[in-house]
Amino acid sequence: MPKERVNRHKNREQSKYFFDYSMLLIVLFLLGFGLLMIYSASSYTSFAEHQDAAFYLKKQARNILIGIPVMALMAMIPYEKYAKFAFAGYIVSFLCIPLVKTPLGEESHGATRWVRIPGLGMNVQPAELAKMFMILFLAVVVCKMGKSIRTLKGFLVMLAIPLPIVLEVYFLTNNLSSAIIIMGISVFMVFVASPDYKKFILIALTIIALAVLLVVLVKAKPELLGFRGDRIKAWLDPESYSGDKSYQTLQGLYAIGSGGVWGKGLGQSMQKMSFLPEAQNDMIFSVICEELGLFGGICIILLFVMLLWRMMMTANNAPDLFGAMLVVGVMGHIAIQAILNIAVVTASIPNTGITLPFISYGGSSIVFLMAEIGAVMSVARKAQRKNIT
Amino acid sequence: MEEKKRRKQIFAPRMQKKLVVLFAIVLLAFAGLSARLVFIVTENENEYQKQVLSQQAYNSVTIPFKRGDILDANGTVLATSERVYNLIVDAKVMTNNGKADKGKNEVTRQDLERYIAPTMQALDEHFDLDIDKIREHVIANASKSSWYVVQKRMSYEEVKPFKDAQAENSNIKGVWFEEEYKRIYPNGSLGCDFLGFTSRDSNGIYGLEEYYNQQLNGINGREYGYLDADLTLERTLKPAVDGYNIHSTVDMNIQRIVEKHLLAFNEKQKNTVITANGAENVGCVIMEVDSGRVLAMAGYPCFNPNDTWNTDALIGMRMVEMVTNSAGYQELHKTNTYIDQNVIDQMDDAQLELNLQNLWKNFCITGTYEPGSTIKPFTVAAALEMGAVTKHSTFECNGSLEIGGYTIKCHNRDDGVLGLETAVAKSCNVAMMKIAQIVGAEDFCKYQQNFNFGLKTNIDLAGEARTVNLIYTADDMGPTDLATNSFGQNFNVSMVQMITGFCSLINGGYYYEPHMVDKITNASGVVIENREPRVLKQTISESTSELIRQYCNAVVEYGTGKTARPAGYRIGGKTGTAETIDEKTNKRHPDEYVVSFMGYAPADNPEIAIYVVVDRPNAPKQDDAKFATYLVRDILAEVLPYMNIYPTEADAVQTATPTPAPEPTQTPAPVL
Repeated sequence: MPKERVNRHKNREQSKYFFDYSMLLIVLFLLGFGLLMIYSASSYTSFAEHQDAAFYLKKQARNILIGIPVMALMAMIPYEKYAKFAFAGYIVSFLCIPLVKTPLGEESHGATRWVRIPGLGMNVQPAELAKMFMILFLAVVVCKMGKSIRTLKGFLVMLAIPLPIVLEVYFLTNNLSSAIIIMGISVFMVFVASPDYKKFILIALTIIALAVLLVVLVKAKPELLGFRGDRIKAWLDPESYSGDKSYQTLQGLYAIGSGGVWGKGLGQSMQKMSFLPEAQNDMIFSVICEELGLFGGICIILLFVMLLWRMMMTANNAPDLFGAMLVVGVMGHIAIQAILNIAVVTASIPNTGITLPFISYGGSSIVFLMAEIGAVMSVARKAQRKNIT
Repeated sequence: MEEKKRRKQIFAPRMQKKLVVLFAIVLLAFAGLSARLVFIVTENENEYQKQVLSQQAYNSVTIPFKRGDILDANGTVLATSERVYNLIVDAKVMTNNGKADKGKNEVTRQDLERYIAPTMQALDEHFDLDIDKIREHVIANASKSSWYVVQKRMSYEEVKPFKDAQAENSNIKGVWFEEEYKRIYPNGSLGCDFLGFTSRDSNGIYGLEEYYNQQLNGINGREYGYLDADLTLERTLKPAVDGYNIHSTVDMNIQRIVEKHLLAFNEKQKNTVITANGAENVGCVIMEVDSGRVLAMAGYPCFNPNDTWNTDALIGMRMVEMVTNSAGYQELHKTNTYIDQNVIDQMDDAQLELNLQNLWKNFCITGTYEPGSTIKPFTVAAALEMGAVTKHSTFECNGSLEIGGYTIKCHNRDDGVLGLETAVAKSCNVAMMKIAQIVGAEDFCKYQQNFNFGLKTNIDLAGEARTVNLIYTADDMGPTDLATNSFGQNFNVSMVQMITGFCSLINGGYYYEPHMVDKITNASGVVIENREPRVLKQTISESTSELIRQYCNAVVEYGTGKTARPAGYRIGGKTGTAETIDEKTNKRHPDEYVVSFMGYAPADNPEIAIYVVVDRPNAPKQDDAKFATYLVRDILAEVLPYMNIYPTEADAVQTATPTPAPEPTQTPAPVL
């Protein structure tokens, strides 16, 4: 095939350094768009609370400014070197999470999920750290296991590795959503690494069965699950629970519905005026839909699809398994978080606090996500160019 | 490949395939969510748009109007509204539960330290409050309560230090002040009877406050959001329209003199025979003869409109009760109990309210009674006007007259033959009965109507008594009724009817509508309405009026009213001593009287008329007009100089003359 030969020749000639500009462009666009939407969604409440309409905007801009060099650094380091830190990272995240119970723990919105970094005046959410290190560690483990991943034992080991961290996140920081995401990333990676389908179909069926069981249980005995039970009930019937529980869900739906196809126009959201709690945070997607309409919302979904597609291409062209698994992990992270966030906002699943990647307000999340993107770029640089362009 | 695996593993094609499968699943999920979005928008767009708009509508704030002031003739403020502040604690804001409303009701350590502690400390520093109770409330209702009224109606001075502290420390939050207006009566009880008072919701009760309620009240303003044509939310402020100011004809200086003497009378007379006020009611009205403008209107007992529910003012009054009469109607009856602290303690709420309502009434327009001899000038005027008698007519008094089987006595033993002047001056009942017989029932009643008895005067005060059932009509008036009516018994009048009618008797026959207010202005001082004096009718001719003045002057010169004359002045008038009816037995009471004096000054060219009624004075012998005449004398002795009416008579008391300053050692000669 002469054409292929020509291509290969061209690649070698072009450069050693491939840089995935389209992915960078998408990420930067999402970050910039996120800043714009945070300003729009938060200015009203932020002025009321902090006498500064740009309070959240400034903090998020600062976070992004921290994130850019981190991303660049990650992109420049050859990804093979990450592997050395995999086990250490796993231990660090295991040790960091319990810090929330020490005096370093910072409280907000009724849950202790942050750890203060002494001297820097910054708060870090250890669960976000754990997500990143979990991807790294699992990628290394997949490589180490080799063919043994095909056995049942290998499969179970893969699922057992994230379990201690997941349990810590759930029980120590009372953060169900982060626990689900970490577990989800692991399953995502194991699914790709393992040749099997049956086990995963079984897992999916079990989860669906459990969910149905839970819903039935909540309907029969609502007091059994505490505030999470209330959220499930609110999800099942938001209109009749318009008190505290389903208030946020319902207000989010009002925002989306009232936006129509083309939206009210940028900055014209009414729901952000103290009706919609966490407008700049978990519920930012509903403000996007209110201001930019169905059109804006679906555009954002398409951007995420494009981003994930770029990652899939990078993974499929990765020079080795480790790089590919890293990209798969990051891809899983962004996909799960985006899907769950939009699902919560549209009341497709019960309300749980999940942020929209790159767009929602939140310091730790942004910095670690950008670090992950840097890692993907690092892999992309070494990708075989044959199929990627 | 297999050998190389140790060193370099590759992302095997089967894994790539699985990744594609996974991407497809992700794509499917996104597609599903997009479908869900489309579904939400298409299904609910209109409904949710309405929902969003209806939520916005709540976002409107009422701005209270300021109720207009009531001013006296000199512009002195009698009633005004002051902005006051209610202290509101918003627990949601204080604990940051306002925005993160996820169904929790918890107060974090951070909230406690950063916001609640400094806020409570500031509250404690600047107000006298039960801080523990507020803290408990905030913690218990962190996500529920945003409107908890802690303290009401504080002045700006009380609130300011806290507001300053709040401005300096942004951690003091969740506390704000709701504004409203509070009615203030700077003169306390002065003028309470004609002023009335206001309820908390700015509704006038009694007096000018009730009569002019609509003018005094303004229109609340509103700050609200609305949607323009592009469906963007605009906020608009519609300012409150403040109420109109009412300028009264009453001169507070005269009012003050009057009330001072009514109080002095009470102090002197109270607890004489029974442990009670100096009289059941004392009333005094001073009116401008040629305009119907009321210069003073006062009654005793009185109350403080700033503190209307204070039961201390009830002490000394006669207790009243609500009784169902034979016809099934509720009737207010006097009991034989006089109120003291013990009685108040035993009263239930309904009784207390009933008695307070009795206190709040304005005796000068609401109280009705038999006028007694003060009616005699009216009887004579009617007879003269219709030609039944002339100024030369004479009547013989033998001490009594038998009419309709009753012997009706005259309080004078035997006056012999009396002219009209002496008949009035000596207040002869027999002469009056004879005059009334000549006039006849029909014309007598016609003239009663002419003088406005049985009708309302339409004075601009709330609660004027309806007296149409308290007088006779020509059809049901027997000869005895006619005879007793001629000297003021057996029919009821109110003070304002008497003095308004009397003004027309002495001013040439012009019946002016009595009024309390002569100007209404808006908040910026523009005159909205001028109320000029209004002549309603001519009651008698100028010549008859002149005769009546002559007769009334005689009353004070040598007749029954000598004691009413203030030193240095010539005045005219007529005394009255009327029997009362015992409510229980419906018979004449043997020893309870209403004594009164109705007069004017100066005698030859009357400018003001004064009417004092003492209802059942607290004295061993009540039928003594001096209770009233002394009051008139004392009041006029101060009011006339104030009004620049100069003494004309030789016995003038030398009070401070304008030119030489009196020497310090010189004490003024006592009045009387």
